[in-house]
Amino acid sequence: MTPRIPLPSEELNALGLPDTSTLAPALAAARDQLRRAAFRMRSVDAVTTELVRIRNARHQTCFF
Amino acid sequence: MSVPVHGPVRENRAVTATWLDGLPAADTDWDRFAASWPVPFGALADVVVAAWDETDPVLLELCRLRMATLLGYAADQARRTERARAAGLDEVKVAELPSWPTSARFEARERACLALAEQFVIDANGVTDEQVADVTAHLGPQGCYAFVQALSVVETFQRACLTLGIQSVPDVDLIARPSPDESQEVPR
Repeated sequence: MTPRIPLPSEELNALGLPDTSTLAPALAAARDQLRRAAFRMRSVDAVTTELVRIRNARHQTCFF
Repeated sequence: MSVPVHGPVRENRAVTATWLDGLPAADTDWDRFAASWPVPFGALADVVVAAWDETDPVLLELCRLRMATLLGYAADQARRTERARAAGLDEVKVAELPSWPTSARFEARERACLALAEQFVIDANGVTDEQVADVTAHLGPQGCYAFVQALSVVETFQRACLTLGIQSVPDVDLIARPSPDESQEVPR
Protein backbone atom coordinates (compact mmCIF):
# COMPACT_ATOMS: atom_id res chain seq x y z
CA MET A 1 0.00 0.00 0.00
CA THR A 2 1.36 3.41 -0.95
CA PRO A 3 1.05 6.10 1.73
CA ARG A 4 -1.33 8.87 0.71
CA ILE A 5 0.67 11.58 2.43
CA PRO A 6 4.41 12.31 2.16
CA LEU A 7 6.14 10.75 5.15
CA PRO A 8 9.21 12.11 6.94
CA SER A 9 11.16 8.92 6.27
CA GLU A 10 10.91 5.61 4.41
CA GLU A 11 11.59 3.62 7.59
CA LEU A 12 9.23 0.78 8.45
CA ASN A 13 8.25 -0.08 12.01
CA ALA A 14 8.19 -3.54 13.60
CA LEU A 15 4.88 -4.31 11.89
CA GLY A 16 6.30 -3.43 8.48
CA LEU A 17 4.25 -0.24 8.39
CA PRO A 18 5.54 3.23 7.53
CA ASP A 19 7.03 4.96 10.53
CA THR A 20 4.66 7.78 11.45
CA SER A 21 5.94 8.19 15.00
CA THR A 22 7.11 11.77 14.46
CA LEU A 23 3.88 13.06 12.90
CA ALA A 24 1.68 13.29 16.02
CA PRO A 25 3.77 11.78 18.82
CA ALA A 26 1.58 12.79 21.78
CA LEU A 27 -1.54 11.44 20.13
CA ALA A 28 0.24 8.25 19.10
CA ALA A 29 1.43 7.71 22.67
CA ALA A 30 -2.07 8.23 24.06
CA ARG A 31 -3.55 5.82 21.52
CA ASP A 32 -0.93 3.24 22.42
CA GLN A 33 -1.90 3.58 26.09
CA LEU A 34 -5.57 3.11 25.19
CA ARG A 35 -4.76 0.00 23.16
CA ARG A 36 -2.76 -1.43 26.05
CA ALA A 37 -5.55 -0.66 28.51
CA ALA A 38 -8.12 -2.35 26.29
CA PHE A 39 -6.03 -5.48 25.86
CA ARG A 40 -5.27 -5.72 29.56
CA MET A 41 -8.82 -5.37 30.88
CA ARG A 42 -9.51 -8.45 32.96
CA SER A 43 -13.28 -8.20 32.63
CA VAL A 44 -13.09 -9.28 28.97
CA ASP A 45 -11.34 -12.57 28.29
CA ALA A 46 -8.42 -12.74 25.88
CA VAL A 47 -10.15 -15.01 23.36
CA THR A 48 -13.16 -12.73 23.03
CA THR A 49 -10.89 -9.70 22.71
CA GLU A 50 -8.89 -11.37 19.93
CA LEU A 51 -11.98 -12.58 18.05
CA VAL A 52 -13.46 -9.08 18.12
CA ARG A 53 -10.15 -7.58 16.97
CA ILE A 54 -9.86 -9.98 14.02
CA ARG A 55 -13.51 -9.62 13.07
CA ASN A 56 -13.23 -5.83 13.12
CA ALA A 57 -9.99 -5.91 11.12
CA ARG A 58 -11.72 -7.92 8.39
CA HIS A 59 -14.71 -5.59 8.45
CA GLN A 60 -12.36 -2.63 8.02
CA THR A 61 -10.27 -4.39 5.34
CA CYS A 62 -7.26 -4.01 7.59
CA PHE A 63 -4.74 -6.72 6.70
CA PHE A 64 -2.03 -6.30 9.31
CA MET B 1 -30.40 34.36 15.86
CA SER B 2 -29.66 34.39 19.57
CA VAL B 3 -26.45 32.77 20.66
CA PRO B 4 -26.60 30.90 23.96
CA VAL B 5 -24.14 31.97 26.59
CA HIS B 6 -21.96 29.25 28.06
CA GLY B 7 -19.57 29.60 30.95
CA PRO B 8 -16.41 27.68 31.66
CA VAL B 9 -18.22 25.18 33.89
CA ARG B 10 -19.62 21.80 32.95
CA GLU B 11 -22.77 22.43 30.98
CA ASN B 12 -24.00 18.96 30.15
CA ARG B 13 -25.10 17.57 33.46
CA ALA B 14 -28.03 15.34 32.56
CA VAL B 15 -27.32 11.85 33.84
CA THR B 16 -29.32 9.32 31.89
CA ALA B 17 -27.45 6.02 31.68
CA THR B 18 -29.75 3.68 33.57
CA TRP B 19 -29.16 0.26 32.00
CA LEU B 20 -26.27 -0.63 34.28
CA ASP B 21 -26.90 -1.02 37.99
CA GLY B 22 -24.40 0.17 40.55
CA LEU B 23 -22.82 3.11 38.77
CA PRO B 24 -21.83 5.72 41.33
CA ALA B 25 -23.44 9.15 41.35
CA ALA B 26 -21.57 11.83 39.40
CA ASP B 27 -22.11 14.96 37.33
CA THR B 28 -22.33 13.18 34.00
CA ASP B 29 -22.83 9.70 32.56
CA TRP B 30 -19.18 9.74 31.50
CA ASP B 31 -18.03 10.46 35.06
CA ARG B 32 -20.15 7.58 36.40
CA PHE B 33 -18.55 5.09 34.01
CA ALA B 34 -15.07 6.57 34.51
CA ALA B 35 -15.41 6.20 38.27
CA SER B 36 -16.20 2.51 37.81
CA TRP B 37 -13.51 1.76 35.17
CA PRO B 38 -10.89 4.48 35.61
CA VAL B 39 -8.16 2.88 33.52
CA PRO B 40 -9.89 2.37 30.16
CA PHE B 41 -11.98 5.52 30.51
CA GLY B 42 -8.92 7.45 31.65
CA ALA B 43 -6.96 6.17 28.65
CA LEU B 44 -9.78 7.15 26.30
CA ALA B 45 -9.96 10.59 27.97
CA ASP B 46 -6.23 11.04 27.42
CA VAL B 47 -6.64 10.18 23.73
CA VAL B 48 -9.51 12.64 23.37
CA VAL B 49 -7.45 15.43 24.95
CA ALA B 50 -4.45 14.58 22.74
CA ALA B 51 -6.66 14.67 19.64
CA TRP B 52 -7.88 18.18 20.51
CA ASP B 53 -4.33 19.27 21.35
CA GLU B 54 -3.09 18.23 17.88
CA THR B 55 -5.93 19.68 15.82
CA ASP B 56 -7.49 23.04 14.94
CA PRO B 57 -10.42 23.18 17.40
CA VAL B 58 -12.88 24.76 14.97
CA LEU B 59 -12.16 22.17 12.29
CA LEU B 60 -12.47 19.31 14.74
CA GLU B 61 -15.63 20.71 16.32
CA LEU B 62 -17.32 21.08 12.94
CA CYS B 63 -16.39 17.51 12.09
CA ARG B 64 -17.39 16.23 15.55
CA LEU B 65 -20.84 17.78 15.19
CA ARG B 66 -21.24 16.42 11.66
CA MET B 67 -20.15 12.95 12.76
CA ALA B 68 -22.64 13.08 15.65
CA THR B 69 -25.36 13.87 13.13
CA LEU B 70 -24.41 10.94 10.88
CA LEU B 71 -24.23 8.57 13.85
CA GLY B 72 -27.53 9.80 15.29
CA TYR B 73 -25.89 10.92 18.53
CA ALA B 74 -28.23 13.80 19.41
CA ALA B 75 -26.65 14.51 22.79
CA ASP B 76 -23.26 15.10 21.23
CA GLN B 77 -24.85 17.30 18.57
CA ALA B 78 -26.25 19.49 21.34
CA ARG B 79 -22.94 19.76 23.16
CA ARG B 80 -20.34 22.42 22.36
CA THR B 81 -16.59 22.33 22.88
CA GLU B 82 -15.28 25.42 24.66
CA ARG B 83 -11.99 25.36 22.75
CA ALA B 84 -13.85 25.79 19.46
CA ARG B 85 -16.07 28.53 20.85
CA ALA B 86 -13.00 30.35 22.16
CA ALA B 87 -11.40 30.01 18.73
CA GLY B 88 -14.37 31.77 17.12
CA LEU B 89 -16.90 29.12 16.12
CA ASP B 90 -20.38 30.56 16.58
CA GLU B 91 -23.89 29.11 16.54
CA VAL B 92 -24.77 30.75 13.25
CA LYS B 93 -22.14 28.68 11.48
CA VAL B 94 -23.07 25.55 13.42
CA ALA B 95 -26.68 26.01 12.32
CA GLU B 96 -25.50 25.97 8.68
CA LEU B 97 -23.43 22.84 9.10
CA PRO B 98 -25.92 20.61 7.22
CA SER B 99 -25.38 22.95 4.22
CA TRP B 100 -21.57 22.89 4.36
CA PRO B 101 -21.09 21.86 0.69
CA THR B 102 -22.87 25.00 -0.56
CA SER B 103 -22.94 27.50 2.31
CA ALA B 104 -20.71 30.55 1.81
CA ARG B 105 -19.85 30.44 5.51
CA PHE B 106 -17.55 27.45 4.94
CA GLU B 107 -14.05 27.83 3.56
CA ALA B 108 -12.44 25.39 1.13
CA ARG B 109 -10.28 24.09 3.99
CA GLU B 110 -13.34 23.31 6.10
CA ARG B 111 -15.14 21.69 3.17
CA ALA B 112 -12.16 19.44 2.49
CA CYS B 113 -12.07 18.31 6.12
CA LEU B 114 -15.82 17.82 6.37
CA ALA B 115 -15.89 15.76 3.18
CA LEU B 116 -13.18 13.48 4.54
CA ALA B 117 -14.87 13.27 7.94
CA GLU B 118 -18.20 12.26 6.43
CA GLN B 119 -16.67 9.56 4.27
CA PHE B 120 -14.57 8.35 7.19
CA VAL B 121 -17.71 7.73 9.26
CA ILE B 122 -19.78 6.27 6.45
CA ASP B 123 -17.07 3.92 5.14
CA ALA B 124 -13.35 4.52 5.72
CA ASN B 125 -12.55 2.24 2.78
CA GLY B 126 -14.36 4.71 0.56
CA VAL B 127 -12.02 7.61 1.40
CA THR B 128 -10.41 8.60 -1.91
CA ASP B 129 -6.90 9.72 -2.81
CA GLU B 130 -8.42 13.03 -3.86
CA GLN B 131 -10.05 13.61 -0.47
CA VAL B 132 -6.77 12.97 1.35
CA ALA B 133 -4.86 15.13 -1.14
CA ASP B 134 -7.37 17.95 -0.66
CA VAL B 135 -6.95 17.92 3.13
CA THR B 136 -3.17 17.63 2.77
CA ALA B 137 -3.15 20.66 0.47
CA HIS B 138 -4.74 22.71 3.24
CA LEU B 139 -3.19 21.22 6.39
CA GLY B 140 0.11 19.79 5.16
CA PRO B 141 1.14 16.14 5.61
CA GLN B 142 1.61 16.38 9.37
CA GLY B 143 -1.66 18.26 9.81
CA CYS B 144 -3.53 15.77 7.65
CA TYR B 145 -2.13 12.87 9.63
CA ALA B 146 -3.10 14.45 12.96
CA PHE B 147 -6.53 15.37 11.61
CA VAL B 148 -7.27 11.80 10.48
CA GLN B 149 -6.07 10.46 13.82
CA ALA B 150 -8.35 12.95 15.57
CA LEU B 151 -11.29 11.89 13.41
CA SER B 152 -10.65 8.30 14.44
CA VAL B 153 -10.60 9.32 18.10
CA VAL B 154 -13.85 11.28 17.82
CA GLU B 155 -15.54 8.41 16.02
CA THR B 156 -14.33 5.89 18.61
CA PHE B 157 -15.51 8.17 21.41
CA GLN B 158 -18.94 8.74 19.91
CA ARG B 159 -19.54 5.11 19.03
CA ALA B 160 -18.44 3.99 22.51
CA CYS B 161 -20.71 6.52 24.19
CA LEU B 162 -23.64 5.58 21.96
CA THR B 163 -23.13 1.90 22.66
CA LEU B 164 -22.87 2.42 26.42
CA GLY B 165 -25.78 4.88 26.61
CA ILE B 166 -23.57 7.75 27.69
CA GLN B 167 -25.61 10.84 26.94
CA SER B 168 -23.72 13.41 28.97
CA VAL B 169 -19.98 13.97 28.92
CA PRO B 170 -17.72 16.75 30.24
CA ASP B 171 -16.02 19.17 27.90
CA VAL B 172 -12.55 18.14 26.71
CA ASP B 173 -10.75 20.28 29.29
CA LEU B 174 -12.87 18.94 32.14
CA ILE B 175 -12.92 15.29 31.28
CA ALA B 176 -11.89 12.92 34.07
CA ARG B 177 -8.26 11.82 33.93
CA PRO B 178 -7.75 9.53 36.92
CA SER B 179 -4.44 9.24 38.65
CA PRO B 180 -2.31 6.11 38.10
CA ASP B 181 -3.08 4.90 41.61
CA GLU B 182 -6.83 5.01 41.21
CA SER B 183 -7.33 1.51 39.81
CA GLN B 184 -6.21 -1.94 40.83
CA GLU B 185 -7.06 -3.36 37.41
CA VAL B 186 -4.24 -2.16 35.17
CA PRO B 187 -1.31 0.05 36.09
CA ARG B 188 -1.19 3.16 33.89
